[in-house]
Amino acid sequence: MSATFEPNIVAFLCNWCSYAGADLAGTSRERYPANLQIIRVMCSGRVNPLYVMNALQQGADGVLVSGCHPGDCHYMEGNYYARRRLGMLKDLMEFIGVDPRRFHMSWVSASEGHKWKEVVEKTVEDAREAGPFEGFRRRQIDW
Amino acid sequence: MELEQLQKTAAEVADREDVKYVIGWKKGSYGYRVAPGFIEDAAGAAELIFSPLCTANLATYLTLVEKLPVPRGQEADDRKVAVMVKGCDSRAVAQLLVEKGIGREEVVVIGCPCPGVVDPELLAEKYPETEETVEIKWTEDGFLLVRGEEEIEISRDELLAEKCRLCRYPNPVISDVMLGEPVETRELVEDEGVAEIENRDVDERAAYWEEQFAKCVRCYSCRNVCPLCYCQDCILDRLNPTWVNRAVNFSENTAFNIARAFHLAGRCIECGECERVCPANIPLGRLNRKLAREVRDKYGFEPGVDPEAEPFQASFKPDDPEDFIL
Amino acid sequence: MTEKPKVGVYVCHCGINISSTVDVDAVSEYAQKLPNVEVARTYSYMCSDPGQVLIKNDIRELGLNRVVVASCSPRMHEPTFRKAIKEAGVNPFFLEMANIREQCSWVHEEIEEGTAKAKKLVGAAVAKARLLEALESKEVDAEPAALVIGAGIAGIQASLDIADAGFKVYLVEKTPSVGGRMAQLDKTFPTLDCSACILTPKMVDCASHPNIELLSYSEVEEITGFIGNFDVKVRKKARYVDFDKCTGCGDCAAACRVKDRFPSEFDQGMGKRSAIYLPFPQAVPAKYTIDAENCLFLSKGKCGKNPKCQEVCGAEAINFEQQDEMVEFKVGAVIVATGFDTFDASRKPEYGYADYPNVITGMEMERLVSASGPTGGKVKIFNGKEEIEPKEIAFIKCVGSRDKSVGNEYCSRVCCMYVAKQAHLLRDKMPDANIRVYYMDVRAFGKGFEEFYDRVRRENVRYIRGNPSEIFKRGDKLVVKVEDTLTATPLEDEVDLVVLGVGLEPRADMREVMDLLRLSQSPDRFFLEAHPKLRPVDTATEGVFLAGCCQGPKDIPDTVAQAKGAASSAMIPLARGKVTIGAQVASVNEATCRGCSFCVSICPYTAIEMVTVNRFGHEVEVARVNEALCKGCGSCSAACLSDSIQPKSFRDRQILPQIAALGVLK
Repeated sequence: MSATFEPNIVAFLCNWCSYAGADLAGTSRERYPANLQIIRVMCSGRVNPLYVMNALQQGADGVLVSGCHPGDCHYMEGNYYARRRLGMLKDLMEFIGVDPRRFHMSWVSASEGHKWKEVVEKTVEDAREAGPFEGFRRRQIDW
Repeated sequence: MELEQLQKTAAEVADREDVKYVIGWKKGSYGYRVAPGFIEDAAGAAELIFSPLCTANLATYLTLVEKLPVPRGQEADDRKVAVMVKGCDSRAVAQLLVEKGIGREEVVVIGCPCPGVVDPELLAEKYPETEETVEIKWTEDGFLLVRGEEEIEISRDELLAEKCRLCRYPNPVISDVMLGEPVETRELVEDEGVAEIENRDVDERAAYWEEQFAKCVRCYSCRNVCPLCYCQDCILDRLNPTWVNRAVNFSENTAFNIARAFHLAGRCIECGECERVCPANIPLGRLNRKLAREVRDKYGFEPGVDPEAEPFQASFKPDDPEDFIL
Repeated sequence: MTEKPKVGVYVCHCGINISSTVDVDAVSEYAQKLPNVEVARTYSYMCSDPGQVLIKNDIRELGLNRVVVASCSPRMHEPTFRKAIKEAGVNPFFLEMANIREQCSWVHEEIEEGTAKAKKLVGAAVAKARLLEALESKEVDAEPAALVIGAGIAGIQASLDIADAGFKVYLVEKTPSVGGRMAQLDKTFPTLDCSACILTPKMVDCASHPNIELLSYSEVEEITGFIGNFDVKVRKKARYVDFDKCTGCGDCAAACRVKDRFPSEFDQGMGKRSAIYLPFPQAVPAKYTIDAENCLFLSKGKCGKNPKCQEVCGAEAINFEQQDEMVEFKVGAVIVATGFDTFDASRKPEYGYADYPNVITGMEMERLVSASGPTGGKVKIFNGKEEIEPKEIAFIKCVGSRDKSVGNEYCSRVCCMYVAKQAHLLRDKMPDANIRVYYMDVRAFGKGFEEFYDRVRRENVRYIRGNPSEIFKRGDKLVVKVEDTLTATPLEDEVDLVVLGVGLEPRADMREVMDLLRLSQSPDRFFLEAHPKLRPVDTATEGVFLAGCCQGPKDIPDTVAQAKGAASSAMIPLARGKVTIGAQVASVNEATCRGCSFCVSICPYTAIEMVTVNRFGHEVEVARVNEALCKGCGSCSAACLSDSIQPKSFRDRQILPQIAALGVLK
């Protein structure tokens, strides 16, 4: 293994705010680590909290869910549901011994390209510190 | 509560034309066993009992019953089902009403105020089963074990089930018929089981649960016994998509247990059945109670107390906690 | 139906935008080896015509049935490629894009990491593409009618345009008369047209137009449905005057026992009206209304022996028994033109608006200089002691605008010019008066604005750059305490009259409309448009459009232009007679649905309802999606414990393989 561990992060972004914010970060030529891959969903409310579990199981070292700021949801309320569900999941994960640095949630609007960069840096750095996720990762992947 | 009253009420309800059967507790095959009794007529009511051994949450049978295809030309039997419930069990009924798992008109709730049941494991360990017939009764502040000629006074703390030590609803929250007088609600005690795990650091917690989940044989008893796990087609059984592989190993077992516990967030009514039936003795109640406490403390919500409540997982408050958000 | 997926992967160079940080050939080679991938190619600009032809040819020659394009953001070119594959005979929803530009090549520097990440993204896109499903967009009929909320100049203009095009318009106005704020103005800048002269013909038009049903003194209570099919409920408030019988003669108001007792809303409280009243002489409809709160008979149950109005009304139009009436109708589009409030100057206590009668707002000045105003156009002001004709007059601009301390960071866009206009009007009436304007900046950006501002300055109106800190009384005078920031001179300017150039604010009651139509606010608290540049009259709710100051401060020409824009946008579904319903909506597996109705509680669009179905002889409740209402957000799905409700194109079985693909390459 190399000297510094490079974590693998899976991120779920809502189409209207955070995904657009990540696009803006690109348009603005922000620079951030390449450890994070984005899966686009229409709304953060779409993110089934079990995706987080599934991502860790399938080889991610960290997971990020990002949506619109409260009150700005394109679908009015989806991010409020996401906040409640994922807040509960975070409590559960911590309780069973998943390092809290492996799971983050953020509000990033379509105009916050720079904030997106900071969120990625924070997420990657935290996962790096937490180290490779061995926990309940699937040893064999057969999809 | 007098046994006579219970049996009389059950007989009356079972004889009602609009009632299919009464679900109650009856003596099991031997020893400490207690089995569910499905009483279809007044005569059957004589079998029913209510004792500190009646741990089972019978509300499970409200949704567990398989809806067999109705033969052509016949009509579905939509008579009511009557069920006996302790305080905790009644919360399952209330939560089922919230989730439309059953309709209020489909069920007759017979409430049984409950002074607290015994932990069957502890009981068997301390007072091993013998061939003799046994009976356990509630006393003023504990239990009385009657084994043959022998009578043993047992203190409440010695045998009380963990869920009952933490119980805040010993009296049914919902009922059509209430048997006997309400029991006194006891003072709250700290949930030591949950606190003990919380006090460990994250690696110790991971190690603890790894040991626990590694024991899981994936018998799905926890799910099947749960009154609120009643999807006809559980996502954890499904192949497309495959949330959890069928392999029994630590990874899949953990995923299974996370999914099970999470699906009960804001729904679990803390009857402790999952933990009781677990053949691997995994402390599943701690997982559920941890989430239940977070739901209560952080979100100010308690499931299964108000049949008119908005379901926790299908609602939000604008000021839900968000201190964890970047 | 279940044909084997044959995926084509197309990796775009985007000139050097992608290829400088991503080894596109390596990505393509990698993709070639992924399951079900038939072909993988690279091209310099996939979005160009030749790029699209490349895809189309492969579809025809290789029989591709799924396409993955690795290029820019799907927010950019997804429609382009959907269209392209559709033209080649593949369902447009068999497309998946991998964003390797905005979210890869543009944010990473090293070619190794860029390439590695691009491979993962393509892998995930292929994994999902294999499992995509064919979707069809549906069409439903659109009701050829529009609802316009608010009958100021924006609502009037939008209604007239739509009605002239031949569609039915329901114009709903909260107050007894149409006309709105513009009716209160005296002259309009910079052309000095008489506001009433240009507005009243339009007011009359919209009341008499055969296609416009004017619902004045009415409020929208409920709007349900979706573009093309909105069901509207309107409450027509009781006027206590028979609309058809009232001739508008005014005998009632003259006879009213509480005649001229109550501040007239139209005259900004400077004039008085009776309990039965016409808001202003040119009001449309010219029908009287009883103000139930102040009417002796309605509020106290007794008005002398008999109510006077009833006694004198020759038409017998007074009806104290009248009740609110509900009207229901269907429309295909909605235009929101609810206007603005003027800034409440008492929120700047340092200017003494609440304390001194000779500190007034711009809107009050409009009424004061108007020939139809409470003073008949004479500028008379009470200075606390006596009524005088002011000689020393100061205007203060940016009151409640560009002011973070009151929460309004924005420029109200009209104050610079209305202040210049009022200065000009005062100069006309009072050649000897000393008029000065205290300002931060002068923003004369519109057509003819700068010329007008220049003219006003040449009319001996002094512009002094400074933002007054305080106004206080000294003898009979008001003292404006200010620093002339161009000469750095502190001044204590003694004047007879201060006019506060108050700005525009979102209406206090806008929350009601927001809730009716599920609209959002932008940071300035005005209604949020769908896109600030490209969709300035649209909202996030399809079929709902914005016109005028409810979307942000603007002057009359801009308001009219936006109203015409909103009208023409609203007419698109009306003229087509059909609306297309999104294909990426939620669907329910009724066999596994357990009927808990979590999804029903969650859906913000009330797109899900419970229906009873027969499951092997048992009646069970299951969820059903109204595809016309569903927006495909998927919030329902994440709460569905049995995974029975799933958004098409974003199903669990499509997303989980993506997750797997991103993990497997670790």
